[in-house]
Formats: sequence, structure tokens, C-alpha cells
Amino acid sequence: MSAPRIAQFKLVLLGESAVGKSSLLLRFARGVYEDNRESTIGAAFLAQNVRLEPDLVVRFEIWDTAGQERYKALAPMYYRNANAALVVFDLLSQESLARAQSWVRELRVQADDGIIIALVGNKLDLLNQLKAESPNSSGKIGISEDAKSYAAEAGLLYYECSAKTGENIEAVFKGVAEKMPINEYFSSQEEEQQHAVDLGASSSGCAC
Amino acid sequence: MPSKYHDMVELDSNEYIFGEEGGRGTPASVFFKKIANMSQKSSKKSKPKPEPSESQQITVGAGRSHAEHISAISDAQNVKKKGKKKQTSSERKQEHKSSSGHAHHLANMAEHNDSSPYFDLDDDWDTNFESTIIPKANARSISSSNTALSKPEPSEIAAKAERDELNSLVSRILKFQTALSAPTVDIDQLRNLSWSGVPPDLRPRTWMHLLGYLPSTAERREKTLAKKRLEYFNSIEQEFGNEGSMNQSMWHQIAIDVPRTNPHIKLYSFESTRRSLERILYLWSVRHPASGYVQGINDLLTPFFQTFLTQYVGTKKVEDLDPQQLTKEELDFVEADSYWCLSKLLDGIQDNYIHAQPGIHRQVQKLEKLMTKVNSELIAHFKSENVEFMQFSFRWMNCLLMREVPMTCAIRIWDTYLSEGPQKFSDFHVYVCAAFLQNWAKDLVNMEFQDLIIFLQSPPTQDWTEKDIELILSQAFMYQSVFKDSMKQ
Repeated sequence: MSAPRIAQFKLVLLGESAVGKSSLLLRFARGVYEDNRESTIGAAFLAQNVRLEPDLVVRFEIWDTAGQERYKALAPMYYRNANAALVVFDLLSQESLARAQSWVRELRVQADDGIIIALVGNKLDLLNQLKAESPNSSGKIGISEDAKSYAAEAGLLYYECSAKTGENIEAVFKGVAEKMPINEYFSSQEEEQQHAVDLGASSSGCAC
Repeated sequence: MPSKYHDMVELDSNEYIFGEEGGRGTPASVFFKKIANMSQKSSKKSKPKPEPSESQQITVGAGRSHAEHISAISDAQNVKKKGKKKQTSSERKQEHKSSSGHAHHLANMAEHNDSSPYFDLDDDWDTNFESTIIPKANARSISSSNTALSKPEPSEIAAKAERDELNSLVSRILKFQTALSAPTVDIDQLRNLSWSGVPPDLRPRTWMHLLGYLPSTAERREKTLAKKRLEYFNSIEQEFGNEGSMNQSMWHQIAIDVPRTNPHIKLYSFESTRRSLERILYLWSVRHPASGYVQGINDLLTPFFQTFLTQYVGTKKVEDLDPQQLTKEELDFVEADSYWCLSKLLDGIQDNYIHAQPGIHRQVQKLEKLMTKVNSELIAHFKSENVEFMQFSFRWMNCLLMREVPMTCAIRIWDTYLSEGPQKFSDFHVYVCAAFLQNWAKDLVNMEFQDLIIFLQSPPTQDWTEKDIELILSQAFMYQSVFKDSMKQ
């Protein structure tokens, strides 16, 4: 069996402080959860694969940015040329949704036109727990409905997940991976290779 | 027999090693440059050449607590008394993995020296300081006279190095004690001493002096401390007294960051620690509205908090301590002192935390410029891999490398930084970052983008000790001496 084809894309995580961006990644990449992880300073990097088909892998180069407002000025460096953005908010925090919306607006203006944006509500476990504790509550619990309708309106992918339990985490990354311009990636790769051959500069071995 | 005069010369050589205003008058700068020039490899080889053994001496300053020094000396004494050919303590084994069997030789050497008076280590140890040093210096002279007759075993030199190291430790502590107990503390002298590490037991007081928090004049100290502590608690009352007037967004950010401060150290998991940190950070933030609280300042507070706690519990226990075990007054003092010292530290680097963080951007640019001089090959490689300095060194600047090295190493770095002074240390920090980066250069030049970034954001320093960080500091000192002028252009 031949090695799978790998298409590589850049993904950035944005969102308010302590909504669980780093925890979401830690769950995705290593399948674990830690209470009280240190805050991210500047940005953190990792690379992680998503297998879409037996012979097709999407490899994400992921930049996990710091959430505090003071670090906002650094963000363009990380969303520049990004193919995808996960804009994360806390399903129990209205402020964090407002912040997410402002990130979406900024991305629409500043980031690449083709960028795929997913709005991701984290801490689903807490939301479910609250719902379970007051089953007859007539009042609104959490901000799911607001977030969902905003996402539909703005044409964003929408997910709810829990970094703590792992619920739905895979679905987020798989969903985004499926939206990646995979064919364009491979055709531009081929073009580059062809170009290299045309120039006679290709001294590296064949990959097949 | 060597004369008394000769003994004194031997003692002076210790001073020389530590680069103070010692008998030979060799400036510290020359010495450190020399140390820095020695490659890391040569100093790690166990083959005991005279120079590497010097380099080991330079690095022993802060490694052990007062009590540990005494127990180490006591061990040596036991070996001498019993003449047993074995290691005397697990600590010793750990500290000198490379020089196996040296205790055996230490015992041999000690036999040359049987006439040395026994002194009681538990009781008023430093009053007998001279008598500890001098007999050992005698042994050293004997060993050098042996050298003249026949070539010494390499292991004898190792034993000599061991003994010199113990002498240096004792000598060093004594120097700090003398400096600190002077009616007016000579801050320049204290700076010189502290650059190469502060003995843990004397660290709280030394840091307070270096930061200018503790007045140098003895008679003013108590009054000033009392005033400052009262001022802190009045301010706390003022800021926390009326919840409605609190800056909620600032408070929110602090409240979510404190529980995730040093999560790997137990001390920071206790509620009383967290309440103290919250109060300190909030007060600092509202009193410095131009920057306010910025993530990472929480990290910078912890060396103070932890170090000042050691006044009451000792260095070893502090990381597992529930501060509630202290009296309320003791904990209050730790909290107030930590606040003021954090303020002093941040005074010199406020630019790092104001809007757009210009201080950090400047430092990152400086680091890049400096690295083109230190290792242009590495810079070329970074360029070809599209690695930007901002991507990995932002945090180095924002948290003063605290996220990159274990806490004991961070604290040791601070000995040097605080001795540089609040206005100057951030300049030196860029050189330290350069030495830190260069430390991994051989690996880095063979890595591609992803591996490079992943490596640089979590370099393998988990097992680092103070000795590792001292090599980085020495290297940084060398870079500073060599590149300082060209960096100004």
C-alpha cells in the first residue's frame, strides 16, 4: 500500500482568554485534558494530521494565539495566509461570543478571501451539566441559540464541543479539513514540480 | 610547612575565582570572559584540568542552602575521621556523578591533613571559619608540593577541586553575611557578589537590597519595612473595600490567570497562595493603568513570592508549602514585600506591557540582530525555513525565560538580573536569550520549520540545574562584552 497523500494547510485559533483554545488543541492532538493549563503567551504552534480517506491526510499547521486583548496586535502575523480559523468562545459566556464576533469581522477584512471560519463553542460539558441541574428551567441557559443563528447568518461552520470530555472535538477538525481546497493544493504542488522540472533544477528524488 | 602567608595567598585565589575585588585585583569581567570562552564540552569532561575545575567552582554559588553546605562539609569531615573509602551521602553522589571515587581521594588527601582541628559544625559554625579554611588550604599546598615531586593522580586533583569547592561555598556565604550585616550595606559590593549567584538562605534579603526596597542603612530598615507593609495593606483595603468600584475586566483576567500560574508547583494550588497573588496583581495593575495586568506578569511575581516564603520554611519545602501554615503576619509580610519588589522589577520593563508592547518588539529585533553576529548560519537557516523571531522569542521576552526553564533556574537567573539593576537587566536579557538560542544551534540547523518551532517553544530544559543556567549566563556575559558596541550602532 502506498503512503497517503498529504495536503498541508495553515489553521489559526482565535478567541477570548480562557475559553479553552489551548485545551481544545491538547485534546485534539494528544487526547488529554488538563485543568489549569498555563495561559498562552504570544502564540503556540503545533502540527496535527486529520485522515480524511485511507489515502488522504490533511496536515494542519496550527497557531494557537493568546487570548488577552493586549496581544491582539500579534494576531495578524498568525492569521495571515491562514486557510482556516477556529474562532472559539465559551458556551456560557456572552462576552466571549461578542469577542468571537469581533474576530470574525476582523478576519473578513484582513485575512485571505478564501479563509474557512468555524465558530466553535467550547465547555459543552458545563452547559450540559447546567441543563441537567435545572431541567424545568424556562429561562435560557447558555448562548447556543444566539451563537447558532449568528453563525448561520454569517455563513460560518458551527460546532459545540468539550475539550474536557473530548465530545465533538474530532468533528471540528474533520469538518474544517473537509472544507480545505485539497484539489487546488495538489494541483499547485504539481505545477511547482513541473516548473522545477522545466527549469531542470529538480535534483531531489521522486516522492513516489 | 607552608607559611601563614602562603595560606592567605591560597585564599585569595578563591576570591579571584569569584571575580570580586580579590587579592589579585583581577576584575570579574576578565574572569567571566575566560569562563565563557571555554567550550561547554571541555568543562563537562570529567578529566580534571585546572581550568574546568575553576569553572565548576564558579557555578557552585547558589546551588545549596546554608544547611546543605554545612552537611556537605560535615560529610567531608566524616570521611576524614573514619577514612572510609566510600561516598558519604546521596547528595554528594548526585552532585558529582562525573568524578567517581573522589571521596576516596578526599579521604586520602585528608590524611595529609590530620592535624586540622575538629570543629563543631552545628554550633556557631562561622566563628571557626578561619580554622576550616586554613587547614584545607594547607592540604592544598601539600598537594601542590607533591606535584613538584611526582605527577599527581588525576583523582587527587579532583579531590582538591572538591575541597576547594567546599571552601568556596563557605567563603561565599561568609562574604554575603559580612556584606549584609554591615551597618550600611555596600550595594555595589552586593551586586558584584550576587552576579554569580546568591546563597538561598540569604536570597530574600539580598534581593530586597538589590531592588532598593530595603534601605542600605541598618537603622532605617525596620521603620521603612513597617511603613511599606502598612502602605500596602491600606492600599489593598482601599482597592478591595468597595467591590462596585473595582475594575471588573482587569479583575476577571487576573482571576482566570492566577489558578493557571505555575500549575506544576503545588504551592500555587493552595487557596491562600492564590488569594495573595490576586491581591498583589490587582493592586499593581490598578496602580499602573498604562499597562494594567498583562498575562505573564503573573509568572514574574512568583519568584518573589516563593523566595520570600523561604524565610519561614526553608528552600526545599517551599514548593509544597500551604502558606496557611505560616502565621497571618508572616504571610502578610511575604505578600507586601512581593508586591513592592514586583513593582521595582517592572519599573524597568514597563514598555514590555503597555499598548502594543514596544519593549518586547524592540528586544526581539535586538535578539535577531545580535544572532546575525553570533551565528549567521543559523539565521540564514531560519530565513530559508521562514522562521520569524517573533514566533518563538516573544514569550522569552514577555516572561523573562521563566516558561523555558525550571523554577530553580529562573530564580538563579534573577540573582544575576537583579544584580544588574532594574534598568539594565532587560538589556542583558537579550544576550541571555542569544546564549540560550545558541545553546541549541547545532540541533536547530538541521530542523525544518515545524520541528524548529516546536523545539523552540519547549526546549528540553526539564532537567536543567543552576549549573546549566550559569553556563548560559557566562556565555551571555561574553556576548555582551564582545558585541555591546556594535549593537549600539
